[in-house]
Amino acid sequence: MSTTSEIAPTKCVGPDYRAEEQKPTATVSTAVNFDNVTVLSQTPQLIALLSIIRDKRTDRGDFIFYSNRIIRLLVEEGLNHLPTVEHPVTTPVGRMYDGLAFQGKICGVSIMRAGEAMEQGLRDCCRSVRIGKILIQRDEETAQPKLFYDKLPEDIADRWVLLLDPMFATGGSAIMAVEVLKSRGVPEERIIFLNILASPEGISNFASKFPKLRTVTAFIDQGLDDKNYIVPGLGDFGDRYYSM
Amino acid sequence: MRGDTRDLVDTLTDGIKGLDVRVVENPDSTIAKRAHYAPPWADVSIIGIAGSSGSGKSTLSQAIVKKLNLPWVVILSIDSFYKSLDPEASRRAFRNEYDFDSPEALDFDVLVERLQDLKAGKRAEIPVYSFEKHARLDRTTAIYSPHVLILEGIFALYDPRVLELLDMKIFCEADADTCLSRRILRDVKDRGRDVDGIIKQWFNYVKPNFEKFVDPQRKVADIIVPRGVENHVAMTMVTQFIQQKLVEKSKRHRAALTRLESQARHQPLSNKVVFLDQTPQLRGMNTLIHDIDTSKEDFIFYFNRFTTLLIEKAMDNIPFASTTITTPLNREYAGLKPRGEVSAVVVLRGGAALEAGLKRVLPDCKTGRVLIQSNMRTGEPELHYLALPKDIAEHEAVLLLDAQMSSGGSALMAVQVLVDHGVKMDRIVLATYSAGRLGLHRLTTVFPEVTVVVGNVIQDVEERWVEKRYFRC
Repeated sequence: MSTTSEIAPTKCVGPDYRAEEQKPTATVSTAVNFDNVTVLSQTPQLIALLSIIRDKRTDRGDFIFYSNRIIRLLVEEGLNHLPTVEHPVTTPVGRMYDGLAFQGKICGVSIMRAGEAMEQGLRDCCRSVRIGKILIQRDEETAQPKLFYDKLPEDIADRWVLLLDPMFATGGSAIMAVEVLKSRGVPEERIIFLNILASPEGISNFASKFPKLRTVTAFIDQGLDDKNYIVPGLGDFGDRYYSM
Repeated sequence: MRGDTRDLVDTLTDGIKGLDVRVVENPDSTIAKRAHYAPPWADVSIIGIAGSSGSGKSTLSQAIVKKLNLPWVVILSIDSFYKSLDPEASRRAFRNEYDFDSPEALDFDVLVERLQDLKAGKRAEIPVYSFEKHARLDRTTAIYSPHVLILEGIFALYDPRVLELLDMKIFCEADADTCLSRRILRDVKDRGRDVDGIIKQWFNYVKPNFEKFVDPQRKVADIIVPRGVENHVAMTMVTQFIQQKLVEKSKRHRAALTRLESQARHQPLSNKVVFLDQTPQLRGMNTLIHDIDTSKEDFIFYFNRFTTLLIEKAMDNIPFASTTITTPLNREYAGLKPRGEVSAVVVLRGGAALEAGLKRVLPDCKTGRVLIQSNMRTGEPELHYLALPKDIAEHEAVLLLDAQMSSGGSALMAVQVLVDHGVKMDRIVLATYSAGRLGLHRLTTVFPEVTVVVGNVIQDVEERWVEKRYFRC
């Protein structure tokens, strides 16, 4: 993979009612042109949350708390892609509310270990959701990702899958995880990939490889460095969340 | 029938419109006109009760307050305004040779200032005077938002500037020997003095001063009350007068709200009203929250989930500043950080339903509380309780939380309370689960700088059912 030297997009961020000169500037997500990729709205609050988890001085407690806030926003956005039906209800004060009900069962699948860090945020929104796990690691000899372990709900083929992995660099493990899900009978269009930080080249490759799969990410970063780390990035998510 | 009622309402509002529509020019905003909201504590009624020491002034004041039993009737003792003594005067005071019963001993300048603040509806810091130390203490007590203030003290009717601020002037009368015996009992019991000293003071200072300064006040009094609390006729007269004042204030307040309504109806909604995007997920949650058949567990779960998003949205509207941070890969990132401290103020009871969401977003934010209840009979919002962080005026943003805002009366009052405590309007972000257009109009016409974040828009007026379901009572 190549190192990217494009200039990161910087702009004034803030609510519409504020004049441009009253909005502070910040680097926002790189734009990619795929219908099946949703980037969370680049609000000042989201940028501030990302600034905290990117900062190398942030301690583990804060890293966990603030990444969890971003993950909840990702889950809430991801769930918007589920099918709905009209469902009018009567309110406690006796008026009608033109409601919506969700159709279809869901489950979460986390790519170990960093993806497991997103399970709390998922459970914050979907209390008793089933969660499967997939362990993929880089094979020392071939340098290719290799499936070591998976434990998925029996009926996963009938469910919508929220696939969880916070970091998307080259996307080797995410691609393999999607292949595993497809081999268990999950159609591509029923997979929603939830991600915090992605590289533009990785996410573009992923979006064209699986055109029906939907990706929801908080931020597409500038690019990859020569070691294939996302830059400016936030370091190793799993280490910062679990052990640093 | 219907037609009659409408005519009546129209006449009423027309009458009110003509009364007192104040439009204030606002220099910092593009919105040229601003409607004026006068909370019920603006233009407080002040009742002065003067009389000789021991004539039963404070007993009478307390009896009146007890009889009315309302949090917005407050007693202010003029004793709080004794001047601090210099060391020499203090020594004399301890020898009972300082003249506390002369108007000279009181700081009328500060008293007038504080009364003017209260008249303007502002918070007033009242000095605390220690009779043991003969000095003003460092701390003060605050008086805020009384509708009626009883000013009690031997010289309550003395200073002409004070007289100008009084709505009713009372002079308490009692026999001199009754006064002296009451004074001995009180000073021995409550102020730790000895009888010799008290008697010395009485004949040296109290009695001559009474004749010279206290007694002449009866000339300016509206009523003279002999026998203090035992005088039931006088007691009833005074309480009735206060009740009348309270009714007038309540009427004026409700009329002001109605007037704002008619003004607001024709204005477009301010662009500082921000609605949550009605995404399928949000509507799904709303469906479960609105459905009368949703279980209590589900209601609380989905309401908390919803309010978490509401608070996140509110946080998009606080001020941020640019910051450059270094990532663990030693790369720089041009990000943002909040410009300063963010705190919250919960409008009780409904706003407390948003606290679970608040704690998920800002677990340790300072939280003030304001209890505003609508009067069962008149529907008028009433401020019952207030506890705000001390440094609230310095916070960069204050999130004001309420579950439902229909006519906007309590929201207006809550914002007014924050403004009275020094919070700048453009630093207030009001977040509410639901709001009626009328309420939004009213609020943003009076406070155009305030940002309002709304979960969903409802009919103009709706009963407060959300808090009932959330707290299950």
